[in-house]
Amino acid sequence: MNIVVALKQIPSMADELPLNAQGSNLDFDEVDFVLNEFDEHALEQAVLVKEKSGGAVTALGVDLIEALDDVLYTALAKGADKAIKIVGDFEPGADSHTQAAWLAAVIRDLSPDLVLTGVQAANDLDGQIGPMLAAHLDLPYVGVVTGLEVAQGVAKVHKEFAGGVVADIEVDLPCVAGIQAAAKPPRYAPISKIRQIAKTAQIAEAEAAAAGPDAGVTLRRMAKPVATGRADMLAGDAKQVAAKIIDILTERGLL
Amino acid sequence: MLTTIEKLIFILLVAFFVGFLALRGFWGIYKIVRQGRPAPALKNIPQRMLAAVVQVGLQQTIFRSRPWLSVFHAFIFFGFSYYFLVNVTDLLEGFAPGFELVYGGRALAAAPTGLVNLFNLVADILSVLTLLGMIVFLVRRFISRDQRLRFNEGVLLNPRVQAGGVARDSLIVGGFILLHVGSRFLGQALRLAEHGAPDPFMPFASLTANLFGGLSPAALDAGIHTTWWLAIGLIVLFFPYFVVSKHIHLMVAPINLGLAKQNPRGQLDDASPPGSDIQPGAANLLDLAWPRLLDAYACIMCNRCNDVCPAHSLGSVLSPAAVEVNKRYLINQNFAALAGGSAPPLSLIEHVISPQAVWSCTTCYACVRVCPVGNEPMADIVDIRRSLLIQGDGLDSGVQTALESLSKNGNWFGQGKRARPKWSKALDIEIKDAGKEAVDYLWFVGDTASFDSRVTPLTQAFARILHHAGVDFGILGQAESNAGNDVRRMGEEGLFEQLMENNLKAFSASTFERIVTTDPHSLNTLRNEYRWNGNRRQVIHYSSLLLQLFESGRLQVTQPLSAYVATYHDPCYLGRYNGEYQAVRKLLQHLGVALHEMPRNCENSFCCGGGGHIWMGETPPGERPAENRIREAVTTLTAHAGEGKQENWLFVVSCPKDLIMFSDAVKTTANDGAIQVIDLIQLVEQATGLDKA
Repeated sequence: MNIVVALKQIPSMADELPLNAQGSNLDFDEVDFVLNEFDEHALEQAVLVKEKSGGAVTALGVDLIEALDDVLYTALAKGADKAIKIVGDFEPGADSHTQAAWLAAVIRDLSPDLVLTGVQAANDLDGQIGPMLAAHLDLPYVGVVTGLEVAQGVAKVHKEFAGGVVADIEVDLPCVAGIQAAAKPPRYAPISKIRQIAKTAQIAEAEAAAAGPDAGVTLRRMAKPVATGRADMLAGDAKQVAAKIIDILTERGLL
Repeated sequence: MLTTIEKLIFILLVAFFVGFLALRGFWGIYKIVRQGRPAPALKNIPQRMLAAVVQVGLQQTIFRSRPWLSVFHAFIFFGFSYYFLVNVTDLLEGFAPGFELVYGGRALAAAPTGLVNLFNLVADILSVLTLLGMIVFLVRRFISRDQRLRFNEGVLLNPRVQAGGVARDSLIVGGFILLHVGSRFLGQALRLAEHGAPDPFMPFASLTANLFGGLSPAALDAGIHTTWWLAIGLIVLFFPYFVVSKHIHLMVAPINLGLAKQNPRGQLDDASPPGSDIQPGAANLLDLAWPRLLDAYACIMCNRCNDVCPAHSLGSVLSPAAVEVNKRYLINQNFAALAGGSAPPLSLIEHVISPQAVWSCTTCYACVRVCPVGNEPMADIVDIRRSLLIQGDGLDSGVQTALESLSKNGNWFGQGKRARPKWSKALDIEIKDAGKEAVDYLWFVGDTASFDSRVTPLTQAFARILHHAGVDFGILGQAESNAGNDVRRMGEEGLFEQLMENNLKAFSASTFERIVTTDPHSLNTLRNEYRWNGNRRQVIHYSSLLLQLFESGRLQVTQPLSAYVATYHDPCYLGRYNGEYQAVRKLLQHLGVALHEMPRNCENSFCCGGGGHIWMGETPPGERPAENRIREAVTTLTAHAGEGKQENWLFVVSCPKDLIMFSDAVKTTANDGAIQVIDLIQLVEQATGLDKA
């Protein structure tokens, strides 16, 4: 079975997110990029399916900022069999529709049985890569998946709805699934293994196809939230604090 | 003297039991130990061996703990050592016609009487002391049942150990010693009875001889023959038992001490031999380095390491002693196959230590420090972790999160690289970037002091103190990564390498003379483990720098802190690992703080339970090490200041992790308000008046 995982790097939330001078987007020179957390789950789910039902896992992604190699080496260390990076002249903020088009062009040639990707990513939060891949590849799509098994040409997909309702869905292969959480927490890849792989493994390169239609939305302005109101901390011992509370309540006519 | 038949039987017994069985066993042990992985090369082995013999001769390593039991051990040790000589004379008594040493050796024409009398006196006294020591040991194990000889519930033990194997072995060894020494002693008493007069140089034997006054000459002669056989014949029969018994420690312990690690304590051995492509760490018994296999033979199973282990002493399933005991029993069970090189892989986590126990170790080094025979159970544990990490099995989620953040961000706080120097932005003084301008001291800040909001005020205060004292210092800022000390001890060798390379790159892009750090963990790995490639820099702890600043007058005590009643906690990586105890104590004296030592101080300090261990998502229930330590401090200060007089009590620390661990422990032990955890930085601030500036 041929499993493909589409990975995407996004700005690290561990840092503060500085804006560019125009205030039109992040200052991409001043942020670190990390793998989208949901994509880590997609990769883990792909490796779990492979370990249970056999097959091979191909990890691929768009090399937006020329730093995808480490992500792909890590994927190989975690159990992927093959890695592909899509290269070209990119904007670091390329939107999900555009990325989906580049990814789909490469994935189509891989004739996958199963395509997994994170259900969404923290940067654009639109959850579009999965559905767009499915549309480009003309395959069925299930999103918000929290577990997936494969048997006899069918993917059995576990999905959680709001209010604690769960559903088990059968989807004919090939299909695309947007992973919310893998059946197990993503495994740890020891750095020595990643470094070993980095010395020996080959990452295939694919040229990005001409970009298709973008998301149709334009980012006009990006700004930090403005603080409105703030909390006052009441200092002092219990009696003093109690007295202050009474004052405040009286002042507002609540007592 | 023996009859000819007796002599013949004796010679045949020696040939078979010693010459064949025991030698074959010892050769097997040698072959097994040689199958361990290579360890760092050792230098000056003859000198080291000689030093080990002196160490053993003075019983130095044994007196590190349990002083009273050590006295009784010393009795047995000196008795046994002297018995090498005694046994030679016994052999002569058996084989040489007319040879006898009683009454100053008067039966021998050329005997130096004075010397023989001295020999007899020492033998007489040591025989009694050995018997006394052995009886105390047996009473302790079998009658008063010292709990320290037991293991905690849940500790993985070899089934034979579980079934009382160690006790059985102890009984056999104890019985042998009592019979061997007791018989020799009685044999001499019988000789005196035969001659019918006491020997003033054999007071105890003379006293005992009175018991045999009524026996016929034939009975006395039979007694002399029987006791000779029970004393000397028994050794011969006992010899092959050494191969399977813990009693072999008397031969292996000095060798083990002589071949002990020569690198600094703070330097772990490599995960796999340099230049090899063997899997890092140890999954199976023979993946361990050869000294770890020899350790199993040196172990006398005294459990002193359990006493000082912050995990075992508080009820955890980790027992450093069990690591050695299990290894030994595993080897015993597979002896022939191992010696023959045909043993199947023997999984360490199945037979030697459970994964839960592997992850319970805080790598505080107390077990290694206290071991009288130079064993390093902690080294086994780190090697097993390295192997578990590569297999990726059962990694604690908290540890995984920390390691992932360390590889992404260079810190375990989940914060971005850029946030590392954030604490310095809020200061009213400018801190130099050592990457941009040359400085005297490069201040290696470390993760906790950079990111933990409980510690960053002290980090800022230290900057102000250095600035006030006119120290030329700078930091690496974003370019600094976690030093990797705890990462390495959690078994993540690859990540340690990565962090070290990042820091070495940042060091070579900066200009500085030496490194100062408030973090003993960073200090340890920077000083002992980094590959400086000829560019080594001195790495000092801030306590030494502060002391130096006071001694040179660059800092002045304006308000002596004489109102405080304080105790001090030695951090593992400053004290036990790097031998630095005095700078802090001198500094406290300088500041006027009255210091009262806890019972466990300096080398015997008790771990706070921190290190990489604080990343663990799951911690065992029960008292935590830091809580145990705070109670010890409160008891210490109560003893000094008196009950109910909890005023100005301080628990002084010199490590950012300690500040956090012990501040929490003060709260959880309901000592909030009774004792304050305080860092040296805060004390210096107060004493110099900088806190009010």
